[in-house]
Order: sequence, then C-alpha cells, then structure tokens
Amino acid sequence: MHIQVIIDSAVEEIGRTLLGKEPQIRLALCCLFARGHLLIEDLPGMGKTTLSHALAAVLGLSWKRVQFTSDLLPADILGVSVFDAADGSFNFHPGPIFTQLLLADEINRTTPRTQSALLEAMAEGQVSVEGETRSLPQPFFVIATQNPIHQSGTYPLPESQLDRFLMRLELGYPPPHAEREMLERRYSAALEIQYPRQCIDYDQLEMIRVAVSQVHASENLLDYLQRLVAYTRQSAEFEVGISPRGALALLDCAKTWAAMHNRGHVVPEDVQLVLPAVAGHRLIPSGDYAGDGHALVDLLQRNVDVVGP
Amino acid sequence: MSMLQQVPRNAFVWIIICLFVLVAPHAARLPIWILALYAVAAIWRLQVHRGNWSCPTRLVKATLVLSGFFGVYATYGTFVGLEPTVALLLIAFALKLIELSYRKDAYVLLFLGYFICITQFLFSQDFLVTLWGLVSVTLLTTALVAIHRTGEQEFRFGTIRVASAMLLQAMPLMIILFFLFPRFGPLWTVPMKNHTAKTGMSDFMKPGDVASLSQSADVAFRVKFDGDIPDKSALYWRGLVFSRIEEGAWSALGFYDLPPNQRRPKEVTISGDPLRYSIIMEPTQQRWLFGLKYARSETQAVIQTSNFLLFSPFPIETDFMYTVNSWTNVVVDDVLSDWRRKTETRLPRTGDARTRKLSVELRAEAGTDEAFVGLVLDKFRREPYVYTLRPDLLSDQDAIDEFLFESMRGFCEHYASAFVFMMRAAGVPARVVAGYQGGEINPINKTVIVHQFDAHAWAEVWLASRGWVRVDPTAAVSPQRIEFGLEEAVESEGSFLSTVLLSPQRYRRIPALNALRLRYDALTYQWQTWVVGFDNERQFDLLRRVFGETTAKAFAVTLLGGLALVMLPFAISLFFTRELHPESRLGKHYRIACKRLAKIGLVRAPGETPSVFAQRAAKVLPDYASQLWQITHLYNQLAYGGAQTPAGNAAQNLQDFARITRRFRPKKQGA
Repeated sequence: MHIQVIIDSAVEEIGRTLLGKEPQIRLALCCLFARGHLLIEDLPGMGKTTLSHALAAVLGLSWKRVQFTSDLLPADILGVSVFDAADGSFNFHPGPIFTQLLLADEINRTTPRTQSALLEAMAEGQVSVEGETRSLPQPFFVIATQNPIHQSGTYPLPESQLDRFLMRLELGYPPPHAEREMLERRYSAALEIQYPRQCIDYDQLEMIRVAVSQVHASENLLDYLQRLVAYTRQSAEFEVGISPRGALALLDCAKTWAAMHNRGHVVPEDVQLVLPAVAGHRLIPSGDYAGDGHALVDLLQRNVDVVGP
Repeated sequence: MSMLQQVPRNAFVWIIICLFVLVAPHAARLPIWILALYAVAAIWRLQVHRGNWSCPTRLVKATLVLSGFFGVYATYGTFVGLEPTVALLLIAFALKLIELSYRKDAYVLLFLGYFICITQFLFSQDFLVTLWGLVSVTLLTTALVAIHRTGEQEFRFGTIRVASAMLLQAMPLMIILFFLFPRFGPLWTVPMKNHTAKTGMSDFMKPGDVASLSQSADVAFRVKFDGDIPDKSALYWRGLVFSRIEEGAWSALGFYDLPPNQRRPKEVTISGDPLRYSIIMEPTQQRWLFGLKYARSETQAVIQTSNFLLFSPFPIETDFMYTVNSWTNVVVDDVLSDWRRKTETRLPRTGDARTRKLSVELRAEAGTDEAFVGLVLDKFRREPYVYTLRPDLLSDQDAIDEFLFESMRGFCEHYASAFVFMMRAAGVPARVVAGYQGGEINPINKTVIVHQFDAHAWAEVWLASRGWVRVDPTAAVSPQRIEFGLEEAVESEGSFLSTVLLSPQRYRRIPALNALRLRYDALTYQWQTWVVGFDNERQFDLLRRVFGETTAKAFAVTLLGGLALVMLPFAISLFFTRELHPESRLGKHYRIACKRLAKIGLVRAPGETPSVFAQRAAKVLPDYASQLWQITHLYNQLAYGGAQTPAGNAAQNLQDFARITRRFRPKKQGA
C-alpha cells in the first residue's frame, strides 16, 4: 500500500479522538517512524495523554503506562527480582519498561534518579538490573509527557537528557471549532468516542522505515541544513546551538517527513517543518528569551527566515 | 536586558586590558589621582560585574564627571592645551567604563580608545611608542571582536588571533596609504601650548638662582653629517643669543625689540665648501632651531635671524627634520652697526663695581680687545675657579662680584655670564650664546646624538675685522667639559645624572648595555628619517623619482591603482569561491525567475522555500500557476533530487531549466 495513504488513515484515526491537531499528529508519527522517542510538553488537560494513547493504539503496539510521581523508584520501572520461596531462587519480575511503547506520564514529576534510569534505557535499548543486561522488545518507543517547567513540584530534565528525545511537541489549545465539536460530543451517543483502531501493522512500519532510509538528501539540502545549524551556534539569540546529534536528528526527521509525503528526496520545506519540534528542546535561548516557548518559536522562525534555502 | 545588548564576559576582560594598555604611555605625564581613578574604575566595574556593587546612580555619575573637570583644572590650571585635554579624555574613558553595561556603551568606549591611542603620538613618535600603539590597536580590535561574540562567557585568548589576522590583512592597505595618501595640513588642531614643557634650554638665564642643575638624559636632536664628523670640541650648536641683561638675568631680544632696519640678517660673503648636515629635532614646543656657526637651511619655512640663528615660524611640536649648510670659518657682521654696538655693550647702570673696575684695569693693561679676551681667560685658568654642577647660590645684588671674587664655583652659565659682563664693562661688544656643545657619536650609523645634558652656554665677542668670535670661558676653566663632555668634567663630583636613576646613560660603562642603547638610537634615527619624517615633500620626492613629474591625476591613479592591486587578490578569490560553488548555475537561473517576479511585486523572502513561494505566487498570478509549478518542481528536483532526477543527464536538465526560466515572463495581473 502507498505510504501516504497508510499515514493519512492513521492521522485520520487519531484525529477522531484528538480534534484539530493534525500537524502535531503528523509530527508525532514522523518521530516514531524515525525511531525516536517523543516528548509532549504542555499544560495539564491539553490532550497529551490522549495523543499518546491514540498513537499506541494506531500502531498496534503493546504498551504500558507509568504515572511518574516523586516517590517512584528506578525499580518500579525496570523491575525487580523477588525471592520465590517455592523453588528457593530469585525470579525477575520485569517492570513496565518491558513493552514496545512506554507512556511516561509527567516525567518531570519524578526524581532525577528515576528519570535517568528511564533515559538510559531509551538510549541503550536495554536495561541492566541487578548486574544482568536485559534487552528491551523491538520496536521500543517512549512517549513522555511533561508539564512546562515553571510548574511547582517538578524536576526539570537536564539538557543532556532532553537530547535523548528526538522531538518535543507542544499541543496548545484546540481551535474554536474543534473545541466546540468536542463539547458537543460530550453527551451525544452517536458521536461517542471510539477507541482508535490499529492502522499500521509491524510490516508497514518496517516498510516506512526502509522508505525513509532511501530518501536522498542532496548537497544543496545538506548545505542548507548545515547553515541553519551553524546559525543557531553563532547567533547571539541562542546561548547553546544545535549539537551534531541535533543536526543528525534534524536530517532523520526531514527524511522521514519526505518519505511520509511520498517523496524520494528532501526539500527545504521538510527541514523547516520539523525544525521547531526537533530543535526546540535542544536550544537554549539566551537572555530573557529563556523559558518562553513562544519566543523560541519566533527565534527559530527568524533562523529560518534569515538563513534561507 | 536582552542578551544581544550585553557585553560578553570575554569582551569585558579585553576591555579592561585595553584600559591599562592605553593609559600606560601617558602614566608618567598624568597626575597620580587619574591613575588612582583608573584603578577605582576597574575595581568598581569588576565588582558590578560580580554583582557585589551596583552601577553608579545618576547623581554619583554627575559628581564624578564634575570632580574630574575640577581635578583637571586644579592640576593644570586650564582646560586648554594638550595635557589637560588628554587628561580629560582619559578621565572620560575611565568613567565610561563604570557605566558600561550595554553593547553600545562598549562601542563608544572602544572608539574612544582608538582615539586615545592616537593621542600618545602627540607627545612622542618614538619607535617604541609606535610599537606600543600597534599593541593597543590590536587589543582594541580584539575587544571589538569579542563584543560581537555573545555567549563567550569566559576569557578566551584566541580572540586576539582573529583580531591580529584582521590587522595583518589590513597591513598592505596601511602601507599603500602611508606612502600614497595625500598629506594634507591638519584640518583641526588641538591647542598644543604645553604648560609643563621641559627642554634643556629656556629663553632666559640667571645663573645665580641655580643651586643644582637638573639634568636630563633625553635626546635633544640627532645630527647626520654628509661627510666626516668634525671634532667634538668644534661642535657648538647655537640656539639662542642673549643680548640683554636686566636684574642679573640674561634674555634674548625678540623680533620686535629690534629696530626695523636691524631685523634682517646681514649679508655674509661665503667661501669654501660648507659642512652639510641634517638635524632631526625632538619636539620642544619652542621655535628656535640649532645649527653650527653661520648656518643656512634649505628646508622650507626655516628662517635666519639677524643673530644668524635658525628659527622656525611655528613651535616644534613633532619630530622636525631640517638640513643645514654651515660655513664655520666665515666672518659674520664684519661691520657692527651703531645700534648693535650699543646693545651688545649695554650693562645695568649700577652694581658689580669690583668687576667693572677689574675689567677696565685689564683692558688698559691689554691694549687690544683680543689681548683683553686672552687676559680674562687667563684669569679663569690661573685662579682657583671650579667647574661644578652644584654651585653656591648667589645673592641678587652684585651676583657677578660674588661669583668672581668669592665663591668661584659655577658651571657654563656662570662663566659665560661673568665673561660677557667683563667684556661689556670694558666696552667690548659681547653676548651670551646658549645651545648645546658636543654630542655623542653613534658608531653604528655615524650620527651625533645631542642630549639635554649637553646644554651649554658660551660667549661671542665682536672683534674688528674678525666679526663675532666664539669664546668659551668654560673651556678655560674645565677643558675636559669641551674635550670629553660633561660626564668627564664632573667625574670627581659624581653629580652626572645623579637625579635620573633609570637613564640608560648612567649605565653606559657596561659595554653590552651601551651597545644596545646605541643600536636602539640608530633604529630611532632610521624611524625618524623614514617614517616620522615622511612628509608631503618627501612623498612628492618619492613619487617624482618613481613616476617622473607628478600631476594630481597621476597621483590619484597611483593611489587608486595601489589600493586596487592590494584588494584584487581578495576580490578574485572571493569571486571564484562563489562561482565555483556547485549548483550555482542552477541557482542563477532560478534567481532570474525570482527577479522577474520581484519586478511585479512578488518578492521571495529569504526563508521562503521554492514551493512555499510558488504557492504564494500562484495565488496572485493564477495564469502563470502551471509555469510556476513547472519551474519549482524542476528546480526542487534538480537542486535536491540527486540521482532521482528525471531522465537525461545533468547538463541536459540544466539546459531545460534555463530554457523554461528564460521563457517565464510574468506580467502583473488584474487589479
């Protein structure tokens, strides 16, 4: 089947539960197709959990959900060996991380110790528990949600750990017409929320990944991408620019975006479209821009405007 | 405050370094409180930076500025003049540092810094000062580079490499401009009158008032002879003639003190080959020049006075070079005018009765003026007169009597003064000449270095048929002073440069140091001749030698041609890096299409991708939509598609693209 058709149907399916958020849904899919972990950041009640559930359902992956709290310990995620009195030995009880898709809710509510245990697993694709290394299932995705850092009682993720997420998305308020639809649906039996059905199976996921790997990035495009990245490093607006890993992430996502739109080569729009999601959490704006998400978007837009393809 | 406006930490360190480097060459001239102000400013700024102190309030700033003005007035007594002006600038520089918080302040500070860097040349154009200027400019440029590197939060030495590279690249331009840029007269001037100017000579002389002669090892001027250097004892550099004695003080007659018919120098019949030499003078802020007996100068604007001295119409404020021809054996003023005879024999009505009596007696005994001179010199030679730099103070009344008959201790001024007094008392025209005697011969470049401590005073006596004859009574008292110089003459006394501890002159007995000193002096001479002395005369000279007769047009062409020659390699390299860029031809064709759209009001934003732009353009120009999309698709494929380009080879595709862009001629549509 045509990639674009598969993806359109998946987007439509998710769009049924999360109204008016098509761009974010596409970006989230792009992130997963690029084998990356996704961080969704927004205020409570904006549909972060809804989106992550829907993504898991549409991809048909086995998933588990962990609500991160301040007293959560690494063992609560990774698992623990328990002494079995019957056969007189320790048996490993795998934690929720042994799944294809892990929903880590409010990741910034838990202590750095637990955060780093999770993030290590994300980077390595395996966990070490009690001296034994155990592989995680394939594919392995983490979709983490977090509240913006200026909420109290949170442990903001350090930059080095934010870097493990391929993309960071912000959902924002729904458009008025979508919100109206959502309100109307609330008590209407006919339009009752259906649980999303699976639209992409494992083979199709692999097919998409193969297609991504064949997307061509020309000299011109790499040149443009490099200039974009260089701008963030030289410009006074950013204290820390995009790292080489960030540049790789940008290229991966742009390629995936091209493949999702059935193109065999990357064009500058692909880079521009994925840039805010890929670069946003890797950049530290300088001075008074810090902590202001919208200003960051403006800065990135300026970056795009100034550099030019 | 936005980060864009902040001064990065790195720049801040460089600015502080600049501060001290810039004030250093002025340090010796400045009052101590300005140096203290610098220390306070740096510490204050540092504390503000570390968050310990706060920036000064408006009131504090106003107070500081006002007290700066007050301090300058209190120190110098005026705001006019070079030193107070520079002091004010330096104070402004230090105070600006305290309120440095935005980048724009840093700009002001650094540009003021470049200006301050120039001001050190108003005091000295020494080779070392120039090197120091280069260091200052490099550091200022480094700071300027650093304030544009936001985000550099710690000190980085590497910034100086960028600045040095920039300055090195500018070097060829600098050299061309140095040789070729027209040297205009100054369009504006800082009032130069220097209130605290020190020279080895002053324009009046009162020997009795000096208890200990202050000495300086500074160079007064350097002389380069065309031929051999004459014997040192013959080198009497005439500077001023003191013809008037009033209340025990000798002074020179001004131009307007002379009756009009005496103002021009008398004709002198010259014979034989002259001594040819050129003199480079250090700034004196005065107008008198120096030369051997009967000097004529070919340098423009050097005037000869009626005393056969050389004079400059303007004060010597920078190193000044002039050439002189001297005939040392000719007779000057063979006939003495009545006015001059009266002037050169005039004495105060009363006082010094013993001296007058002695003079008349000796003159009667001698019979002729010439023999009289010999008798007086004999008196100095025979009687226990002592040459010393530490003479006794003399009273105001009858100072010459006191010197001649009681103290008998003195230096050149005492002897010259007493000698001329005696001559005049007997009716022989005589006058005191002040200038320099001798000099140090630098074996490295065969120049004569005349120091301030070579300052000397002697006498000139008018004798019938011989004109003005030089007589040096000091030579009678202390022949070493003339033969070997001051150092030998006062060796037993130990007073040579006793007040100047750090002078290299003090250590000339150490051969290695002395060789180094002479070598540096030779370098200074070269520097003054070729760089400082390169004025518009020499510039024209050089151009004439290279290009023949110079016209304004040829001059302009040479200047512009020279600049072009230097810039051309850069331009060519830029041109080729741009042209050789891959895909640039494709981009050129696409830009042509964009230009045509821009002409009808559709300007592509720099960040707009071709597709986004096409979408926007197609909405405005629906008739051209298909053409637009054709161009955009093909461009996207050729620029970004790589191997998946449509059939045909790359050259063919490019040609196709060129063809469709050529055909694309959009016209404005509808209203």
